[in-house]
Amino acid sequence: MSDEKVNMKVESVQNTRIMQMEDYIMKHCLWQFHSRSWDRERQNEGVLSKAKQLLCDEEVAKETPEDRCYWVDALSLTEAFRARFAWFAQMDKESIKVLMEKLKERIDYVTISGSLNKELTVARY
Amino acid sequence: MPHHEFECSTCIPERKSHAVVKGEGEDLTSCLPEGHLLTIPGTISERGCAYCGAKHVIGTPMKDAIHMSHGPVGCTYDTWHTKRYISDNDNFQLKYTYATDMKESHVVFGGGDLLKKNIIEAFKAHPEINRMTVYQTCASALIGDDMEAIARDVLKEMPDKDIFVCNSPGFAGPSQSGGHHKINIAWINEKVGTVEPKITSDYVINYVGDYNIQGDCEVMCDYFKRMGIQVLSSFTGNGSYDELRSMHGAHLNVLECARSAEYICNELRVKYGIPRLDIDGFGFEPLSDSLMKVARFFGIEDRAQAIIDEETARWKPELDWYKKRLTGVKVCLWPGGSKLWHWANVIHEEMGVEVVSLYTKFGHQGDMEKGVARAQPGTLAIDDPNELEGIEAMEKLKPDVIFTGMRPGEVAKKRRVQYLNAHAYHNGPYKGYEGWVRFARDIYNAAFSPIHQLSGIDISRDPIATDKGFMTRKMISDVKLTPEEANVEGERPYTGDFDCVTKLRNKVYDPELSRNHEQAAV
Repeated sequence: MSDEKVNMKVESVQNTRIMQMEDYIMKHCLWQFHSRSWDRERQNEGVLSKAKQLLCDEEVAKETPEDRCYWVDALSLTEAFRARFAWFAQMDKESIKVLMEKLKERIDYVTISGSLNKELTVARY
Repeated sequence: MPHHEFECSTCIPERKSHAVVKGEGEDLTSCLPEGHLLTIPGTISERGCAYCGAKHVIGTPMKDAIHMSHGPVGCTYDTWHTKRYISDNDNFQLKYTYATDMKESHVVFGGGDLLKKNIIEAFKAHPEINRMTVYQTCASALIGDDMEAIARDVLKEMPDKDIFVCNSPGFAGPSQSGGHHKINIAWINEKVGTVEPKITSDYVINYVGDYNIQGDCEVMCDYFKRMGIQVLSSFTGNGSYDELRSMHGAHLNVLECARSAEYICNELRVKYGIPRLDIDGFGFEPLSDSLMKVARFFGIEDRAQAIIDEETARWKPELDWYKKRLTGVKVCLWPGGSKLWHWANVIHEEMGVEVVSLYTKFGHQGDMEKGVARAQPGTLAIDDPNELEGIEAMEKLKPDVIFTGMRPGEVAKKRRVQYLNAHAYHNGPYKGYEGWVRFARDIYNAAFSPIHQLSGIDISRDPIATDKGFMTRKMISDVKLTPEEANVEGERPYTGDFDCVTKLRNKVYDPELSRNHEQAAV
């Protein structure tokens, strides 16, 4: 198989996995839907960066109330991912990192930059 | 954008952007209706007003305050009598409603004196109640009565009282949602931080955006208390006025209905650094996940797990009984705001029903984002529908049951489509494990009641067979099940009590659970 075909296959597998994770987040989570774009940026970063750390067995900050709140959502998410998606067990940490970064890009797009919600930029709550 | 145009609304072309059909492969970047806009002239909206959203949705569930409308008596009477936000103090806030009863003469000459007289009279009539909320209406707003000044005046004469003034007249927003916003912001600006919190636990939350419909809030608070968590305030179901003034003392805001109460959580985060955790109290899995998240925040996950195990073992066989029979039942999920996303996916996953349409009367695009994201492909999502659109949707989609409010519910009944009250419930509470089974039972009873066979008969004209009975619910609901599927050992219909809430009020909780021994040891 040529390098190009291998890359296409890798990308296709990655896209399928991102779609599965996105579907889970959209149907079961609420943290990504805060009312303003700056809150969504903060939430997506807070939860998904901690989820990435948890999936890669890295240290996760949870000393402040804010960090702890992200951590509980992230932990719940990673448990669901591991329980539902058997392919996680076959992935090495580097691949998980790449996958989670792509997932965050996708969630940022769906909930912020590509969102049709006109209230995201309203200046006050 | 997969917009949907109703035939009945072709004469109102702006309506087209308020409805979408979620197609296969659609996401929120391509499929979202408009929301939270002024109702288009010519369309008969089912919305409430901003006064109603402030007073009758959020203010009045507070249980230990007199709730006074400064305006015509109709404003306070309308919808008050349909509310079911109960409380543990003999439903004081449901038993009485108050209005200054403005007349033309007050509109011409001012209603300030009338308001003062009414406030004093109401306090004297209820000497045990020292707190009051006062609401502006369209009439008093237009003539400009200075309600804050009048409240200050009364408090000089009655210093042991406290009064909250809410300026949210009916016209102050596209819908009741405008009132939710105004009272949230007014409460944090005027009242939060004015009473010192009475802390009794090392784990303290505000439970926000639950209005104790038929006891929802009390069910959830029972779980929290069983974990040793203090619910410092509940905003506002079964809530206490002074406890809500001390919201700033909590460690965590646990938010249910983001539509009506995210504003105060956002402000509490910015002003006091209290984080906001959004949860789902409906459905076994979302509820278990939510309880676990709250417990983990405090490092007491074993307590959440104990509750989850106990409640699931008790109630899951009953949910399973209903799921088998409800699978494939078509429903329209047409509530006010938050339930469209609380329920859209979980009733499909846990009860097997097919949600063929979502709508929201007063939701914002943020609510539709959550609803559309959780809905199955093919779902028709409608913002601020009018009555004709509702009828057209029912004719096209042919649902078995509609979950909605009383007004559209009555329309559905006339079309011989069953409706369940999504706002006030039929036989709630619907939150909690037992509550979720009660909801399944109500859907089952709506979908399979033998009354449907009789409801289409004109008893004064149509012949009625006298040599045979009507079909029983088992003959209707179990027809698709094999005997093995229908009779699984342990599975059973609901076995709980008629009233599953009152008994919670006398429960005693272990005070030891409220102490964080690890922290104490450090």
